[in-house]
Amino acid sequence: MSKGIRITVVLALALGATACSGAPHPSAGGDKKAGTVVRSCGQSLSVPEVPSRAVTLDQSSTETLLALGMADRMAGTSYLKTSIAPRYRADYEKVPVLSPKTLTSEQLRAANPDLAVASFAELYSKDRVGTREELKESGLPTYVSAVDCPRHSRAGMTPFDLLFKDYENLGRMFRTENRAQKLIDSQKKQVQRAASVSKKVKGKPSVVWIYSVFEGAPYVAGKGGLPSEMSRLVGAENAFADVDEQWPEVSWEAVADRDPDLIVLGDIPELGQPGDSAEDKLRMLREDPVTSKLSAVRNKRVLTVPGIEMDPSVRSTHTLGLLADEMKDRGYAR
Amino acid sequence: MLRPALFLGGVALLVFSMAVSVRIGISDIGYADLGRVLGSRLGLAVEPLPPLVDSLIWDLRIPRVLLAAFVGATLASCGAVLQAVTGNALADPYLLGVSSGASSGAVSVVVLGIGAGSLGVTGGAFAGALVSFGLLMFLLRRSGLDSVRILLTGVAVGQLFMALTSLIVMASGDAETTRAVAHWLLGSMASARWDGVAICATVTAAGLFVLWSCSTALDGFAFGQDTAASLGINVRTMQNVLLVATALLTAVAVAFVGAIGFVGLIVPHCVRFLVGPLHRSLLPFSALGGAVFLVVTDAVARVAFAPQEVPAGVFTALIGAPVFAVILRKRGGL
Repeated sequence: MSKGIRITVVLALALGATACSGAPHPSAGGDKKAGTVVRSCGQSLSVPEVPSRAVTLDQSSTETLLALGMADRMAGTSYLKTSIAPRYRADYEKVPVLSPKTLTSEQLRAANPDLAVASFAELYSKDRVGTREELKESGLPTYVSAVDCPRHSRAGMTPFDLLFKDYENLGRMFRTENRAQKLIDSQKKQVQRAASVSKKVKGKPSVVWIYSVFEGAPYVAGKGGLPSEMSRLVGAENAFADVDEQWPEVSWEAVADRDPDLIVLGDIPELGQPGDSAEDKLRMLREDPVTSKLSAVRNKRVLTVPGIEMDPSVRSTHTLGLLADEMKDRGYAR
Repeated sequence: MLRPALFLGGVALLVFSMAVSVRIGISDIGYADLGRVLGSRLGLAVEPLPPLVDSLIWDLRIPRVLLAAFVGATLASCGAVLQAVTGNALADPYLLGVSSGASSGAVSVVVLGIGAGSLGVTGGAFAGALVSFGLLMFLLRRSGLDSVRILLTGVAVGQLFMALTSLIVMASGDAETTRAVAHWLLGSMASARWDGVAICATVTAAGLFVLWSCSTALDGFAFGQDTAASLGINVRTMQNVLLVATALLTAVAVAFVGAIGFVGLIVPHCVRFLVGPLHRSLLPFSALGGAVFLVVTDAVARVAFAPQEVPAGVFTALIGAPVFAVILRKRGGL
């Protein structure tokens, strides 16, 4: 009871502060409503008040908002790919799950949100929740992760820089800039720690990142994605960095041909299909006549990470840390 | 006599099923809310609903029900016409390879990104449908339009484009895209909007009128091409008109909602049991029957597995097959 009152008071104070502080970043377009204006993937989002009914369209967005402590400002979550990280689980349970899979256009509107947050622009399509333009017309600002549209950011920003940009933007919209800055600082530290490993690495060990195995064929990390960046940070290289696609489907022979020093397997058991759990992938590697002879497989130089962390998310620094430790443990870094 | 009364009854049934199904969905809508949405559109002094609820009803639910009616009418009528033209009880609107062409076009846009900005999935699907139909007519240009030849050429063109679709998906789709495309290929009404309704309404009205005005010729075709010729029908010209008209109608329907199966195959047969084989009444009743069937089926698809939405194409067969079996049993022979 007393806790409820305290929250109400804090909320009222926060709202009061919002009302008084006016518009710190007036919109270039001259919107009448005072509030925060944030650029997101080619659109200017005007958020007149601190969102209190945010809806997330995928797990990464959900976990980012939970990491910023916004559970009580969320009206719903959707599209769970894998289990929620233990540290966010308690908060996650407080928020209604609108759909375990991708949200439909009706579900989003029925939740009466005041902000939609997504990691991928493609989630805003007619056959999913509706286009950003039509949602804007109905007064709903739609945020898209900066990671998904790098061309709208400064050139040369790494996926981690873009993630930090997200924390900053969301922090501004939710008026929780301090918390966002803290998150950025702690993750920056983790990135630096991983990067410090690279100085001690001899040569350039190659890494194959296997995300999932769908109908017998592995999907590996290609050029430009987060796995390439994580490999680079720790002084290794993505073995499929020459394939110009984020998650190309390749053959086991192609994997064998690259003869990687290290194999990273994404674990996504909740997708529930054969080839989605790391165990399945490891078994396939051991049983395939070609890959079973790879030195990485024979010498068990295989690292298992949560699959979702291979894509940019608030959890990705965790996998980066695992990779850095692996580099040290396997003796690539002194 | 009996027929006009029956037709009016059919129209009443369609209006009734639309009025009921417009309320059904993730959040059920009351007629009061519906009244407020329509009232505010008509400029009446009613209190408007919150913008997102208004958008749910006006931008999603109403166009979706209308589009289902137009697409259902189109598919059933085209099925009836093609069954007569080819003299084959198993003919359906996708016989001419149009749906396979459409999926190739849609996949080219989704996966390869060809014309993603200008065409969109709908435009791509329509273009693909036209290309495949163009190929069909090209292959049939010299030979007469003998019905077996139409059937076989249609099957061949369909298989060709199906293979093309699989090739594009396999060669360059990542797991996410593949799953998204599979959803589209099943046929779903989820992306229905007013622009689609406007186009479908125009095309359906014009197309069905053209088909209906060919009723006498169609009756002739039902007895075989020789009989039709002996009745003084210009078989070749008539066939060309009917094939082009059904292909265009189907292409538009497929472009907006994907390849929804079963409606075009079974509804004409059901209607034939009810009103007899003469096309002057068969076609309008097929249109009505198809419309009612798809409107109801799509409403079921929206709520049967809530919060998940099932593609309507899954339910058309699931509901239609038992209904058809019952009718078939009651009527005895064909």
